[in-house]
Amino acid sequence: MTHLLEGNHLQFSYGSREILKEVNIQVRQGQLTVILGKNGSGKSTLLKIMAGLLKPESGTLRIMGRDLNRLSLSERAKIIGYLPQFHRPVFPFSVEDVVLTGRASHVKLIPREKDCSIALRALERVGISELRSRPFTELSGGEQQLVMIARVLAQEPKLILLDEPTAHLDFPNQARLLRLLREFVVSELAVVAVLHDPNIAFLHGDRFIFMGNGQIEAWDSSQEPWDADILTRVYGSRVHSIPYRGRALIIPAVDPE
Amino acid sequence: MPFRPALYLIYTLPLPLLVVSLLLGPADTVNGNQILTWLTETLFSQAPSASNELVRTIILDVRLPRVILAFLVGAALSVSGNALQAMFRNPLVDPYLLGLSSGSAFGAALALATSWMPLQLSAFSFGIVAVGSSYFLARTRKSVTVISLILSGIIVSGIFTSLLTVVQFLTDPFRLQTIVHWTMGNLHNASWAKLRSAAPGILLAMGWLLLFRWRMNVLAVGEEETRAVGLNPEHQKLFILIPATLAASASVAVAGVIGLVGLVVPHMTRILLGPDNTRSLPASLALGGSFLLLVDDCSRITASFEIPIGIFTTLIGGPFFIFLLRKSRLGWEV
Repeated sequence: MTHLLEGNHLQFSYGSREILKEVNIQVRQGQLTVILGKNGSGKSTLLKIMAGLLKPESGTLRIMGRDLNRLSLSERAKIIGYLPQFHRPVFPFSVEDVVLTGRASHVKLIPREKDCSIALRALERVGISELRSRPFTELSGGEQQLVMIARVLAQEPKLILLDEPTAHLDFPNQARLLRLLREFVVSELAVVAVLHDPNIAFLHGDRFIFMGNGQIEAWDSSQEPWDADILTRVYGSRVHSIPYRGRALIIPAVDPE
Repeated sequence: MPFRPALYLIYTLPLPLLVVSLLLGPADTVNGNQILTWLTETLFSQAPSASNELVRTIILDVRLPRVILAFLVGAALSVSGNALQAMFRNPLVDPYLLGLSSGSAFGAALALATSWMPLQLSAFSFGIVAVGSSYFLARTRKSVTVISLILSGIIVSGIFTSLLTVVQFLTDPFRLQTIVHWTMGNLHNASWAKLRSAAPGILLAMGWLLLFRWRMNVLAVGEEETRAVGLNPEHQKLFILIPATLAASASVAVAGVIGLVGLVVPHMTRILLGPDNTRSLPASLALGGSFLLLVDDCSRITASFEIPIGIFTTLIGGPFFIFLLRKSRLGWEV
Protein backbone atom coordinates (compact mmCIF):
# COMPACT_ATOMS: atom_id res chain seq x y z
CA MET A 1 0.00 0.00 0.00
CA THR A 2 1.38 3.39 -0.92
CA HIS A 3 1.75 6.18 1.56
CA LEU A 4 -0.34 9.17 0.59
CA LEU A 5 1.29 11.34 3.21
CA GLU A 6 4.60 10.68 4.82
CA GLY A 7 6.26 12.74 7.53
CA ASN A 8 9.79 12.07 8.76
CA HIS A 9 11.61 13.45 11.79
CA LEU A 10 8.95 16.08 12.41
CA GLN A 11 9.76 18.51 15.15
CA PHE A 12 7.44 21.18 16.54
CA SER A 13 7.16 23.18 19.74
CA TYR A 14 5.18 26.05 21.17
CA GLY A 15 7.83 28.12 22.92
CA SER A 16 9.65 25.73 25.23
CA ARG A 17 6.90 23.13 25.16
CA GLU A 18 7.81 20.36 22.74
CA ILE A 19 4.78 18.96 20.93
CA LEU A 20 6.55 16.72 18.44
CA LYS A 21 10.01 15.23 18.92
CA GLU A 22 11.42 13.47 15.86
CA VAL A 23 8.05 12.09 14.89
CA ASN A 24 7.49 9.85 11.87
CA ILE A 25 4.02 9.44 10.46
CA GLN A 26 2.38 7.74 7.49
CA VAL A 27 -1.12 8.03 6.14
CA ARG A 28 -2.38 5.42 3.70
CA GLN A 29 -5.02 5.63 1.06
CA GLY A 30 -8.31 3.92 1.83
CA GLN A 31 -7.82 4.04 5.58
CA LEU A 32 -9.48 5.85 8.42
CA THR A 33 -6.72 7.00 10.72
CA VAL A 34 -7.69 8.25 14.14
CA ILE A 35 -5.53 10.47 16.32
CA LEU A 36 -6.08 9.91 20.03
CA GLY A 37 -4.48 11.38 23.09
CA LYS A 38 -5.02 13.43 26.19
CA ASN A 39 -5.97 17.10 26.11
CA GLY A 40 -3.02 19.23 25.13
CA SER A 41 -1.04 16.33 23.73
CA GLY A 42 -0.88 18.11 20.39
CA LYS A 43 -3.52 16.27 18.36
CA SER A 44 -4.79 19.40 16.63
CA THR A 45 -1.24 20.63 16.11
CA LEU A 46 -0.27 17.43 14.36
CA LEU A 47 -3.37 17.70 12.18
CA LYS A 48 -2.55 21.29 11.26
CA ILE A 49 0.99 20.29 10.37
CA MET A 50 -0.39 17.54 8.17
CA ALA A 51 -2.69 20.11 6.56
CA GLY A 52 0.25 22.41 5.91
CA LEU A 53 -1.28 25.16 8.05
CA LEU A 54 1.60 24.97 10.51
CA LYS A 55 5.18 24.48 9.43
CA PRO A 56 7.23 21.90 11.33
CA GLU A 57 10.51 23.28 12.69
CA SER A 58 12.39 20.46 11.07
CA GLY A 59 11.67 17.25 9.25
CA THR A 60 10.09 16.51 5.90
CA LEU A 61 6.48 16.12 4.96
CA ARG A 62 5.61 14.66 1.57
CA ILE A 63 2.17 14.32 0.05
CA MET A 64 1.94 12.07 -3.00
CA GLY A 65 5.71 12.30 -3.24
CA ARG A 66 5.80 16.10 -3.23
CA ASP A 67 7.13 18.39 -0.51
CA LEU A 68 3.99 19.64 1.26
CA ASN A 69 5.43 22.96 2.35
CA ARG A 70 6.53 23.80 -1.19
CA LEU A 71 3.00 23.49 -2.56
CA SER A 72 0.95 26.65 -2.97
CA LEU A 73 -2.17 27.02 -0.87
CA SER A 74 -4.43 26.25 -3.80
CA GLU A 75 -2.37 23.25 -5.00
CA ARG A 76 -2.51 21.90 -1.47
CA ALA A 77 -6.25 22.50 -1.20
CA LYS A 78 -6.80 20.29 -4.24
CA ILE A 79 -5.16 17.37 -2.43
CA ILE A 80 -5.93 17.99 1.25
CA GLY A 81 -9.31 18.93 2.66
CA TYR A 82 -9.08 20.24 6.21
CA LEU A 83 -11.99 20.89 8.53
CA PRO A 84 -11.01 23.14 11.45
CA GLN A 85 -12.36 22.62 14.93
CA PHE A 86 -14.50 25.70 15.36
CA HIS A 87 -16.55 27.54 12.84
CA ARG A 88 -18.67 30.45 13.85
CA PRO A 89 -20.98 31.33 11.02
CA VAL A 90 -22.03 34.97 10.77
CA PHE A 91 -23.99 35.32 7.55
CA PRO A 92 -27.17 33.38 6.86
CA PHE A 93 -25.73 31.99 3.63
CA SER A 94 -27.70 29.18 2.10
CA VAL A 95 -26.24 25.71 2.65
CA GLU A 96 -25.54 25.48 -1.06
CA ASP A 97 -23.51 28.71 -1.01
CA VAL A 98 -21.46 27.51 1.96
CA VAL A 99 -20.66 24.19 0.27
CA LEU A 100 -19.79 26.02 -2.94
CA THR A 101 -17.02 27.93 -1.15
CA GLY A 102 -15.21 24.59 -0.93
CA ARG A 103 -14.54 24.99 -4.65
CA ALA A 104 -12.31 28.04 -4.10
CA SER A 105 -9.09 26.36 -5.24
CA HIS A 106 -10.77 25.26 -8.49
CA VAL A 107 -12.59 28.52 -9.20
CA LYS A 108 -10.93 31.56 -10.78
CA LEU A 109 -13.31 34.31 -9.73
CA ILE A 110 -16.90 33.18 -10.14
CA PRO A 111 -17.96 29.52 -9.82
CA ARG A 112 -19.22 27.80 -12.96
CA GLU A 113 -22.14 25.46 -13.52
CA LYS A 114 -19.77 22.52 -12.99
CA ASP A 115 -18.77 23.79 -9.54
CA CYS A 116 -22.40 24.14 -8.51
CA SER A 117 -23.19 20.58 -9.59
CA ILE A 118 -20.15 19.28 -7.70
CA ALA A 119 -21.38 21.12 -4.61
CA LEU A 120 -24.82 19.58 -5.03
CA ARG A 121 -23.31 16.13 -5.46
CA ALA A 122 -21.33 16.63 -2.25
CA LEU A 123 -24.57 17.46 -0.44
CA GLU A 124 -26.14 14.33 -1.89
CA ARG A 125 -23.23 12.19 -0.82
CA VAL A 126 -23.48 13.44 2.74
CA GLY A 127 -27.23 12.86 2.53
CA ILE A 128 -28.44 16.38 3.21
CA SER A 129 -29.69 17.50 -0.22
CA GLU A 130 -32.94 18.61 1.37
CA LEU A 131 -31.08 21.31 3.31
CA ARG A 132 -29.61 22.98 0.23
CA SER A 133 -31.53 26.24 0.34
CA ARG A 134 -31.81 26.54 4.13
CA PRO A 135 -29.86 29.32 5.84
CA PHE A 136 -26.73 27.82 7.37
CA THR A 137 -27.12 29.80 10.58
CA GLU A 138 -30.52 28.25 11.30
CA LEU A 139 -29.29 24.64 11.23
CA SER A 140 -28.56 22.51 14.27
CA GLY A 141 -24.94 21.89 15.25
CA GLY A 142 -25.06 18.40 13.75
CA GLU A 143 -26.46 19.64 10.47
CA GLN A 144 -23.87 22.42 10.29
CA GLN A 145 -21.11 19.86 10.78
CA LEU A 146 -22.50 17.73 7.95
CA VAL A 147 -22.62 20.82 5.72
CA MET A 148 -18.98 21.57 6.50
CA ILE A 149 -18.11 17.97 5.61
CA ALA A 150 -19.93 18.39 2.31
CA ARG A 151 -17.84 21.53 1.80
CA VAL A 152 -14.66 19.51 2.27
CA LEU A 153 -15.96 16.92 -0.22
CA ALA A 154 -16.72 19.64 -2.76
CA GLN A 155 -13.05 20.47 -2.60
CA GLU A 156 -12.41 17.00 -4.14
CA PRO A 157 -9.36 16.19 -2.02
CA LYS A 158 -7.46 12.92 -1.78
CA LEU A 159 -6.93 13.28 1.95
CA ILE A 160 -9.47 14.60 4.44
CA LEU A 161 -8.32 15.90 7.82
CA LEU A 162 -10.99 16.44 10.46
CA ASP A 163 -10.43 18.08 13.83
CA GLU A 164 -12.89 16.61 16.31
CA PRO A 165 -15.72 16.24 13.82
CA THR A 166 -17.96 14.62 16.44
CA ALA A 167 -17.70 17.45 18.97
CA HIS A 168 -21.13 19.00 19.68
CA LEU A 169 -22.85 16.08 17.96
CA ASP A 170 -25.41 13.90 19.68
CA PHE A 171 -25.24 10.10 19.68
CA PRO A 172 -27.07 9.29 16.46
CA ASN A 173 -25.30 12.09 14.60
CA GLN A 174 -21.89 10.84 15.75
CA ALA A 175 -22.74 7.40 14.40
CA ARG A 176 -24.02 8.90 11.15
CA LEU A 177 -20.82 10.89 10.72
CA LEU A 178 -18.55 7.92 11.33
CA ARG A 179 -20.52 5.76 8.89
CA LEU A 180 -20.05 8.54 6.37
CA LEU A 181 -16.30 8.61 6.95
CA ARG A 182 -16.28 4.83 6.45
CA GLU A 183 -17.94 5.34 3.06
CA PHE A 184 -15.28 7.88 2.07
CA VAL A 185 -12.57 5.43 3.00
CA VAL A 186 -14.19 2.67 0.97
CA SER A 187 -14.10 4.98 -2.04
CA GLU A 188 -10.31 5.23 -1.69
CA LEU A 189 -10.06 8.54 0.15
CA ALA A 190 -7.77 8.76 3.11
CA VAL A 191 -9.36 10.19 6.24
CA VAL A 192 -7.54 11.35 9.36
CA ALA A 193 -9.68 12.44 12.29
CA VAL A 194 -8.87 13.70 15.74
CA LEU A 195 -11.38 12.06 18.09
CA HIS A 196 -11.89 12.35 21.82
CA ASP A 197 -13.86 9.19 22.32
CA PRO A 198 -11.75 6.02 22.01
CA ASN A 199 -14.89 3.88 21.71
CA ILE A 200 -16.04 5.53 18.51
CA ALA A 201 -12.46 5.47 17.31
CA PHE A 202 -11.96 1.76 17.92
CA LEU A 203 -15.30 0.77 16.43
CA HIS A 204 -14.69 2.57 13.15
CA GLY A 205 -10.96 3.20 12.70
CA ASP A 206 -8.34 1.28 10.73
CA ARG A 207 -5.27 2.82 12.22
CA PHE A 208 -4.67 4.58 15.51
CA ILE A 209 -2.14 7.18 16.45
CA PHE A 210 -1.64 7.79 20.16
CA MET A 211 0.00 11.06 21.10
CA GLY A 212 1.76 12.04 24.30
CA ASN A 213 5.03 13.53 25.54
CA GLY A 214 6.01 14.62 22.06
CA GLN A 215 5.96 11.02 20.80
CA ILE A 216 3.47 9.11 18.75
CA GLU A 217 2.66 5.43 18.60
CA ALA A 218 0.88 4.07 15.57
CA TRP A 219 -1.14 0.86 15.68
CA ASP A 220 -3.15 -1.01 13.07
CA SER A 221 -6.46 -2.54 14.06
CA SER A 222 -4.88 -5.98 13.51
CA GLN A 223 -2.48 -5.23 16.35
CA GLU A 224 -5.42 -4.76 18.75
CA PRO A 225 -4.43 -1.42 20.29
CA TRP A 226 -7.49 -1.59 22.54
CA ASP A 227 -5.52 -3.75 24.90
CA ALA A 228 -6.10 -2.42 28.43
CA ASP A 229 -2.41 -2.29 29.30
CA ILE A 230 -1.52 -0.25 26.21
CA LEU A 231 -4.31 2.22 26.86
CA THR A 232 -3.51 2.51 30.53
CA ARG A 233 0.00 3.47 29.54
CA VAL A 234 -1.13 5.91 26.84
CA TYR A 235 -3.76 7.68 28.91
CA GLY A 236 -1.81 7.49 32.15
CA SER A 237 -4.81 6.18 34.08
CA ARG A 238 -6.28 2.72 34.32
CA VAL A 239 -8.88 1.63 31.78
CA HIS A 240 -10.80 -1.57 31.24
CA SER A 241 -11.25 -3.06 27.83
CA ILE A 242 -14.43 -5.06 27.18
CA PRO A 243 -14.47 -7.19 24.03
CA TYR A 244 -17.17 -6.24 21.52
CA ARG A 245 -17.58 -7.50 17.93
CA GLY A 246 -13.93 -8.40 17.55
CA ARG A 247 -12.90 -5.01 18.87
CA ALA A 248 -13.41 -3.49 22.28
CA LEU A 249 -15.26 -0.96 24.37
CA ILE A 250 -13.20 1.11 26.72
CA ILE A 251 -14.23 2.40 30.12
CA PRO A 252 -12.13 4.21 32.69
CA ALA A 253 -11.50 2.17 35.81
CA VAL A 254 -13.73 3.17 38.72
CA ASP A 255 -11.03 2.69 41.33
CA PRO A 256 -7.68 4.18 40.29
CA GLU A 257 -5.42 1.24 41.21
CA MET B 1 -34.33 32.55 -2.25
CA PRO B 2 -34.46 35.82 -4.15
CA PHE B 3 -37.65 37.78 -4.25
CA ARG B 4 -37.98 38.30 -8.00
CA PRO B 5 -39.92 41.58 -8.18
CA ALA B 6 -37.27 43.16 -5.97
CA LEU B 7 -34.56 42.01 -8.37
CA TYR B 8 -36.31 43.62 -11.36
CA LEU B 9 -37.04 46.79 -9.42
CA ILE B 10 -33.42 47.19 -8.34
CA TYR B 11 -32.06 46.91 -11.86
CA THR B 12 -34.75 48.82 -13.76
CA LEU B 13 -34.96 51.71 -11.31
CA PRO B 14 -31.73 53.58 -12.20
CA LEU B 15 -32.50 54.55 -15.80
CA PRO B 16 -35.91 56.21 -15.40
CA LEU B 17 -34.64 57.78 -12.20
CA LEU B 18 -31.68 59.29 -14.05
CA VAL B 19 -34.03 60.77 -16.68
CA VAL B 20 -36.50 62.13 -14.15
CA SER B 21 -33.68 63.61 -12.09
CA LEU B 22 -32.57 65.63 -15.12
CA LEU B 23 -35.97 67.30 -15.20
CA LEU B 24 -35.97 68.23 -11.54
CA GLY B 25 -34.62 71.39 -10.03
CA PRO B 26 -35.66 74.72 -8.61
CA ALA B 27 -38.92 74.98 -10.55
CA ASP B 28 -38.78 78.54 -11.85
CA THR B 29 -35.44 78.18 -13.63
CA VAL B 30 -36.27 75.56 -16.20
CA ASN B 31 -39.71 74.01 -16.58
CA GLY B 32 -40.92 71.00 -18.52
CA ASN B 33 -42.15 72.99 -21.53
CA GLN B 34 -38.82 74.65 -22.01
CA ILE B 35 -37.05 71.33 -21.86
CA LEU B 36 -39.47 69.93 -24.41
CA THR B 37 -38.89 72.78 -26.89
CA TRP B 38 -35.18 72.49 -26.38
CA LEU B 39 -35.33 68.76 -27.04
CA THR B 40 -37.39 69.11 -30.20
CA GLU B 41 -35.19 71.93 -31.45
CA THR B 42 -32.03 69.95 -30.89
CA LEU B 43 -33.49 66.78 -32.34
CA PHE B 44 -34.78 68.51 -35.44
CA SER B 45 -31.63 70.61 -35.70
CA GLN B 46 -33.01 74.10 -35.72
CA ALA B 47 -30.81 77.02 -34.88
CA PRO B 48 -30.67 77.30 -31.09
CA SER B 49 -32.33 80.31 -29.60
CA ALA B 50 -30.86 82.18 -26.63
CA SER B 51 -33.32 80.78 -24.09
CA ASN B 52 -32.64 77.29 -25.31
CA GLU B 53 -28.96 77.88 -24.86
CA LEU B 54 -29.70 78.42 -21.17
CA VAL B 55 -31.77 75.24 -20.98
CA ARG B 56 -28.97 73.35 -22.68
CA THR B 57 -26.42 74.64 -20.20
CA ILE B 58 -28.58 73.80 -17.22
CA ILE B 59 -29.42 70.30 -18.40
CA LEU B 60 -26.07 69.26 -19.86
CA ASP B 61 -23.53 71.19 -17.83
CA VAL B 62 -25.23 71.52 -14.45
CA ARG B 63 -27.73 68.71 -13.96
CA LEU B 64 -26.25 65.89 -16.03
CA PRO B 65 -22.85 65.82 -14.30
CA ARG B 66 -24.56 66.17 -10.94
CA VAL B 67 -26.97 63.33 -11.61
CA ILE B 68 -24.21 61.05 -12.83
CA LEU B 69 -21.98 62.01 -9.93
CA ALA B 70 -24.76 61.38 -7.40
CA PHE B 71 -25.34 57.95 -8.89
CA LEU B 72 -21.64 57.09 -8.97
CA VAL B 73 -20.97 58.25 -5.42
CA GLY B 74 -24.00 56.40 -4.05
CA ALA B 75 -23.01 53.26 -5.94
CA ALA B 76 -19.36 53.51 -4.81
CA LEU B 77 -20.21 53.98 -1.13
CA SER B 78 -22.71 51.10 -1.19
CA VAL B 79 -20.49 48.64 -3.03
CA SER B 80 -17.61 49.58 -0.74
CA GLY B 81 -19.80 49.14 2.36
CA ASN B 82 -21.15 45.82 1.15
CA ALA B 83 -17.65 44.50 0.43
CA LEU B 84 -16.25 45.64 3.78
CA GLN B 85 -19.18 44.17 5.72
CA ALA B 86 -18.53 40.83 4.05
CA MET B 87 -14.79 41.10 4.68
CA PHE B 88 -15.15 42.08 8.34
CA ARG B 89 -18.00 39.63 8.83
CA ASN B 90 -19.78 42.42 10.64
CA PRO B 91 -23.01 44.14 9.65
CA LEU B 92 -22.18 47.43 11.34
CA VAL B 93 -19.21 48.22 9.17
CA ASP B 94 -19.31 51.10 6.72
CA PRO B 95 -16.65 52.52 4.41
CA TYR B 96 -15.74 55.12 7.03
CA LEU B 97 -14.89 52.57 9.72
CA LEU B 98 -11.15 52.61 9.21
CA GLY B 99 -10.81 56.38 9.51
CA LEU B 100 -11.45 57.20 5.89
CA SER B 101 -13.96 59.97 6.51
CA SER B 102 -11.98 61.73 9.23
CA GLY B 103 -8.78 61.37 7.23
CA SER B 104 -10.42 62.85 4.15
CA ALA B 105 -12.08 65.61 6.16
CA PHE B 106 -8.72 66.53 7.63
CA GLY B 107 -7.13 66.48 4.17
CA ALA B 108 -9.87 68.69 2.79
CA ALA B 109 -9.65 71.09 5.73
CA LEU B 110 -5.90 71.33 5.35
CA ALA B 111 -6.25 72.11 1.66
CA LEU B 112 -8.97 74.69 2.30
CA ALA B 113 -7.00 76.36 5.10
CA THR B 114 -3.56 76.41 3.53
CA SER B 115 -4.07 75.69 -0.19
CA TRP B 116 -1.03 73.41 -0.02
CA MET B 117 -2.57 70.95 -2.44
CA PRO B 118 -5.71 70.79 -4.55
CA LEU B 119 -8.69 70.04 -2.29
CA GLN B 120 -9.77 66.78 -3.89
CA LEU B 121 -6.27 65.38 -4.09
CA SER B 122 -5.61 66.23 -0.47
CA ALA B 123 -8.90 64.69 0.73
CA PHE B 124 -8.30 61.59 -1.36
CA SER B 125 -4.71 61.13 -0.16
CA PHE B 126 -5.50 61.58 3.51
CA GLY B 127 -8.41 59.15 3.23
CA ILE B 128 -6.00 56.54 1.88
CA VAL B 129 -3.37 57.47 4.50
CA ALA B 130 -5.92 57.00 7.29
CA VAL B 131 -7.06 53.56 6.12
CA GLY B 132 -3.48 52.56 5.40
CA SER B 133 -2.34 53.49 8.89
CA SER B 134 -5.28 51.63 10.44
CA TYR B 135 -4.28 48.58 8.45
CA PHE B 136 -0.59 48.68 9.30
CA LEU B 137 -1.22 49.51 12.96
CA ALA B 138 -3.43 46.43 13.16
CA ARG B 139 -0.88 44.22 11.46
CA THR B 140 0.99 41.88 13.78
CA ARG B 141 3.04 38.89 12.72
CA LYS B 142 1.95 39.20 9.10
CA SER B 143 -1.72 38.90 9.88
CA VAL B 144 -4.51 41.33 10.55
CA THR B 145 -7.42 40.31 12.71
CA VAL B 146 -10.80 41.91 12.35
CA ILE B 147 -10.89 43.10 15.94
CA SER B 148 -7.47 44.78 15.79
CA LEU B 149 -8.47 46.47 12.53
CA ILE B 150 -11.62 47.88 14.05
CA LEU B 151 -9.75 49.08 17.12
CA SER B 152 -6.97 50.73 15.15
CA GLY B 153 -9.63 52.27 12.90
CA ILE B 154 -11.21 53.90 15.95
CA ILE B 155 -7.82 55.24 17.09
CA VAL B 156 -6.88 56.59 13.66
CA SER B 157 -10.34 58.16 13.30
CA GLY B 158 -9.92 59.87 16.64
CA ILE B 159 -6.49 61.23 15.76
CA PHE B 160 -7.62 62.67 12.44
CA THR B 161 -10.73 64.15 14.02
CA SER B 162 -8.51 65.92 16.56
CA LEU B 163 -6.21 67.16 13.80
CA LEU B 164 -9.27 68.42 11.94
CA THR B 165 -10.35 70.33 15.03
CA VAL B 166 -6.87 71.87 15.28
CA VAL B 167 -7.09 73.09 11.68
CA GLN B 168 -10.61 74.41 12.29
CA PHE B 169 -9.48 76.16 15.44
CA LEU B 170 -6.56 77.90 13.73
CA THR B 171 -8.31 78.92 10.53
CA ASP B 172 -10.31 82.10 9.88
CA PRO B 173 -14.13 82.06 10.15
CA PHE B 174 -14.79 82.29 6.41
CA ARG B 175 -12.64 79.27 5.63
CA LEU B 176 -14.03 77.52 8.68
CA GLN B 177 -17.50 77.75 7.17
CA THR B 178 -16.26 76.16 3.94
CA ILE B 179 -14.61 73.37 5.89
CA VAL B 180 -17.75 72.63 7.90
CA HIS B 181 -19.81 72.71 4.74
CA TRP B 182 -17.46 70.28 3.03
CA THR B 183 -17.61 67.77 5.86
CA MET B 184 -21.39 67.66 5.59
CA GLY B 185 -21.21 66.34 2.05
CA ASN B 186 -22.22 68.18 -1.04
CA LEU B 187 -23.13 67.52 -4.63
CA HIS B 188 -24.31 70.98 -5.63
CA ASN B 189 -21.03 72.08 -7.14
CA ALA B 190 -20.78 68.99 -9.29
CA SER B 191 -19.19 69.59 -12.67
CA TRP B 192 -17.81 67.61 -15.54
CA ALA B 193 -14.32 68.33 -14.22
CA LYS B 194 -15.18 66.82 -10.83
CA LEU B 195 -16.82 63.87 -12.49
CA ARG B 196 -13.76 63.32 -14.67
CA SER B 197 -11.50 63.32 -11.63
CA ALA B 198 -13.61 60.88 -9.60
CA ALA B 199 -15.15 58.54 -12.16
CA PRO B 200 -12.06 56.55 -13.27
CA GLY B 201 -11.10 55.62 -9.71
CA ILE B 202 -14.66 54.78 -8.72
CA LEU B 203 -15.35 52.70 -11.83
CA LEU B 204 -12.05 50.86 -11.60
CA ALA B 205 -12.56 50.03 -7.92
CA MET B 206 -16.17 48.94 -8.40
CA GLY B 207 -15.19 46.72 -11.33
CA TRP B 208 -12.46 45.18 -9.22
CA LEU B 209 -14.82 44.49 -6.33
CA LEU B 210 -17.41 43.00 -8.67
CA LEU B 211 -14.80 40.59 -10.01
CA PHE B 212 -13.92 39.47 -6.49
CA ARG B 213 -17.49 39.26 -5.23
CA TRP B 214 -17.59 35.48 -4.86
CA ARG B 215 -14.32 35.51 -2.93
CA MET B 216 -16.19 37.57 -0.32
CA ASN B 217 -18.47 34.56 0.23
CA VAL B 218 -15.43 32.37 0.81
CA LEU B 219 -13.89 34.86 3.21
CA ALA B 220 -17.18 35.25 5.05
CA VAL B 221 -17.19 31.58 6.06
CA GLY B 222 -14.10 32.11 8.23
CA GLU B 223 -10.38 32.72 7.97
CA GLU B 224 -9.08 29.26 8.71
CA GLU B 225 -11.82 27.86 6.50
CA THR B 226 -10.63 30.16 3.70
CA ARG B 227 -7.06 28.97 4.06
CA ALA B 228 -8.26 25.36 4.10
CA VAL B 229 -9.90 25.72 0.70
CA GLY B 230 -6.79 27.22 -0.83
CA LEU B 231 -7.01 31.01 -0.54
CA ASN B 232 -4.78 33.13 1.66
CA PRO B 233 -7.19 35.20 3.78
CA GLU B 234 -4.60 37.97 4.30
CA HIS B 235 -4.27 38.49 0.55
CA GLN B 236 -8.01 38.27 0.03
CA LYS B 237 -8.64 40.90 2.69
CA LEU B 238 -6.22 43.27 0.97
CA PHE B 239 -7.81 42.56 -2.42
CA ILE B 240 -11.06 43.82 -0.95
CA LEU B 241 -9.75 46.57 1.32
CA ILE B 242 -7.76 48.34 -1.41
CA PRO B 243 -10.53 48.80 -3.99
CA ALA B 244 -13.13 49.47 -1.28
CA THR B 245 -10.93 52.26 0.08
CA LEU B 246 -10.22 53.58 -3.40
CA ALA B 247 -13.92 53.76 -4.28
CA ALA B 248 -14.90 55.43 -1.01
CA SER B 249 -11.96 57.88 -0.97
CA ALA B 250 -12.64 58.97 -4.54
CA SER B 251 -16.27 59.54 -3.58
CA VAL B 252 -15.51 61.43 -0.40
CA ALA B 253 -12.88 63.54 -2.17
CA VAL B 254 -15.43 64.74 -4.69
CA ALA B 255 -18.62 64.88 -2.63
CA GLY B 256 -17.54 65.22 1.00
CA VAL B 257 -18.62 62.95 3.82
CA ILE B 258 -21.98 61.43 2.95
CA GLY B 259 -23.03 59.25 5.84
CA LEU B 260 -25.16 56.13 6.20
CA VAL B 261 -25.40 55.22 2.49
CA GLY B 262 -22.62 52.66 2.77
CA LEU B 263 -24.30 51.15 5.80
CA VAL B 264 -27.97 51.23 4.86
CA VAL B 265 -27.94 50.20 1.21
CA PRO B 266 -26.07 46.89 1.63
CA HIS B 267 -28.56 45.99 4.36
CA MET B 268 -31.45 46.75 2.04
CA THR B 269 -30.03 44.55 -0.71
CA ARG B 270 -29.37 41.71 1.69
CA ILE B 271 -32.90 41.90 3.03
CA LEU B 272 -34.22 41.77 -0.53
CA LEU B 273 -31.83 39.28 -2.09
CA GLY B 274 -30.08 37.38 0.71
CA PRO B 275 -26.45 37.44 1.83
CA ASP B 276 -24.86 35.87 -1.27
CA ASN B 277 -22.41 38.55 -2.41
CA THR B 278 -22.50 37.45 -6.03
CA ARG B 279 -26.07 38.79 -6.02
CA SER B 280 -25.94 41.52 -3.40
CA LEU B 281 -22.86 43.36 -4.65
CA PRO B 282 -24.17 44.30 -8.12
CA ALA B 283 -27.53 45.04 -6.52
CA SER B 284 -25.85 47.36 -4.01
CA LEU B 285 -24.31 49.21 -6.92
CA ALA B 286 -27.66 49.78 -8.64
CA LEU B 287 -29.62 50.44 -5.48
CA GLY B 288 -26.94 52.65 -3.93
CA GLY B 289 -26.81 54.82 -7.03
CA SER B 290 -30.59 55.12 -7.14
CA PHE B 291 -30.77 55.83 -3.42
CA LEU B 292 -28.35 58.75 -3.45
CA LEU B 293 -29.90 60.09 -6.65
CA LEU B 294 -33.32 60.01 -5.03
CA VAL B 295 -32.05 61.68 -1.88
CA ASP B 296 -30.31 64.33 -3.97
CA ASP B 297 -33.55 64.93 -5.89
CA CYS B 298 -35.35 65.43 -2.59
CA SER B 299 -32.73 67.91 -1.44
CA ARG B 300 -33.03 69.80 -4.73
CA ILE B 301 -36.80 70.13 -4.83
CA THR B 302 -37.69 70.62 -1.19
CA ALA B 303 -35.74 73.80 -0.63
CA SER B 304 -34.76 76.72 -2.83
CA PHE B 305 -31.37 76.76 -1.11
CA GLU B 306 -29.11 73.73 -0.99
CA ILE B 307 -29.15 71.56 2.10
CA PRO B 308 -25.94 69.52 2.18
CA ILE B 309 -26.74 66.03 1.00
CA GLY B 310 -24.91 64.37 3.88
CA ILE B 311 -27.54 65.77 6.21
CA PHE B 312 -30.31 64.47 4.00
CA THR B 313 -28.94 60.95 3.72
CA THR B 314 -28.77 60.78 7.47
CA LEU B 315 -32.22 62.28 8.00
CA ILE B 316 -33.85 59.96 5.46
CA GLY B 317 -31.57 56.95 5.83
CA GLY B 318 -31.53 56.89 9.62
CA PRO B 319 -35.22 56.41 10.31
CA PHE B 320 -35.55 54.14 7.28
CA PHE B 321 -32.76 51.96 8.62
CA ILE B 322 -34.41 51.74 12.02
CA PHE B 323 -37.65 50.78 10.28
CA LEU B 324 -35.86 48.00 8.39
CA LEU B 325 -34.17 46.77 11.53
CA ARG B 326 -37.44 46.52 13.37
CA LYS B 327 -39.48 45.13 10.52
CA SER B 328 -37.30 42.30 9.34
CA ARG B 329 -34.97 39.99 11.07
CA LEU B 330 -31.79 40.94 9.32
CA GLY B 331 -30.67 37.35 9.54
CA TRP B 332 -27.38 38.32 11.12
CA GLU B 333 -25.96 36.29 13.90
CA VAL B 334 -24.17 39.05 15.73
